[in-house]
Amino acid sequence: MARGDADFVEFARAASARLVHAAFLMTGDHHQAEDAAQTALVRTYASWSRIHDDDAYGYARRTLVNHLVDGWRRPMREYPTDEVPEQRRGDVADDVATRRWLITILGALSPRERAIVVLRYYFDLPEAQVARELSVSVGTVKSTSSRALEKLRSAPRTADEEARR
Amino acid sequence: MSELERLRHAMRATERPDPVLDLDTVMREGRRLRTRRRVAGAGAATLATGLAAVVAVVVVGASGPGDPAPTEHPPPVAVAPPSVAASPWAEESPASTPPPTVGRDEPPPKPLGQIVDSGVRHGAERRVYYLVRVSVPGVPKVSIGLAAGRQASDGSLSTDILVNDVEGSDRRAGFHQIGYDERSAAAPVPTFGYFVGPAKRIIGTVDGRQVDARVVRWSVDKQVAIFWFDPAQLTPGERLDGIIARDASGGRL
Repeated sequence: MARGDADFVEFARAASARLVHAAFLMTGDHHQAEDAAQTALVRTYASWSRIHDDDAYGYARRTLVNHLVDGWRRPMREYPTDEVPEQRRGDVADDVATRRWLITILGALSPRERAIVVLRYYFDLPEAQVARELSVSVGTVKSTSSRALEKLRSAPRTADEEARR
Repeated sequence: MSELERLRHAMRATERPDPVLDLDTVMREGRRLRTRRRVAGAGAATLATGLAAVVAVVVVGASGPGDPAPTEHPPPVAVAPPSVAASPWAEESPASTPPPTVGRDEPPPKPLGQIVDSGVRHGAERRVYYLVRVSVPGVPKVSIGLAAGRQASDGSLSTDILVNDVEGSDRRAGFHQIGYDERSAAAPVPTFGYFVGPAKRIIGTVDGRQVDARVVRWSVDKQVAIFWFDPAQLTPGERLDGIIARDASGGRL
């Protein structure tokens, strides 16, 4: 395996979990998330000679988010509440409830709002960088974040609360 | 714990440890994509959308101005140099890809006149528009096409979409082909096109609202008005319901 390929494999193994999870947060669908992350990695590998010394993770992240935002025009449809993933920690019931809550509230956001929330609060990017990566103004990021958080505040705090509504 | 803290915590707590990604497939598809970029960068454009009956490969001035190499029937809208192409999973194998008409070592399409900077940024790259030479067999009055590309900080260009006429004249008064994002590039392509005539404003209509395009005159021929829509106002890929041009006095052209 060429040195560049070995570097890429190392990078992909390190980055794939976060990329897949970010895609899951944006889509609510594990299979779609894995496809999107794989697509981002394909494009990253195709440009590897140009980017691997720079910011490969940033390139992969931008590719992933733009791929999803650009190609996605429908609301989140799937709520995988009966799927129990492999767990690393904590109580399974708590984790399933957390996942259910998360998917429910993210599902109430528009694709752009979800993208901004994921970039701001999952990847912890500053507003200016979110704006650059989504090709929107900082003002749009601020106002969209504000709207998204307002929706989160009005969302049910638990799945049980949601069920009682 | 505030809602925001709870959100941050939930997003991290639900991470899965080991997603199953097939890296062999990733690298195989990545090599295939890289090969296509080289082919596309050399000037071959593959048919993507538009008028369905027309098939083929268009040569985009790779031989240099004044010596365009004619090929088969051209597409009116080509996803040209898909420097970062669309979902590779849906694409065909290299064997079924239209063969390149120029060598891989030839330069990418050379812009005619000045490159127009749209002001849109994709990371470190700039979204730009530029005219390139095209050759349309049997249509001698079409010699230019409008490309949407990205310019890196070192000045290098990657063309995403090329649009050109396939009949008549490329300097006919009025609107010509409009390019829409085809999800074929890593960065969305703002809707773009050109108008021939004294247009001061270009106004698109979508879902009952009007959206003004940015308009810049081509440096080589001031009758050619290159326009594009701010992606914040018109989502790339969203089809316009209508488009009009107005002159300096507000009259419709």
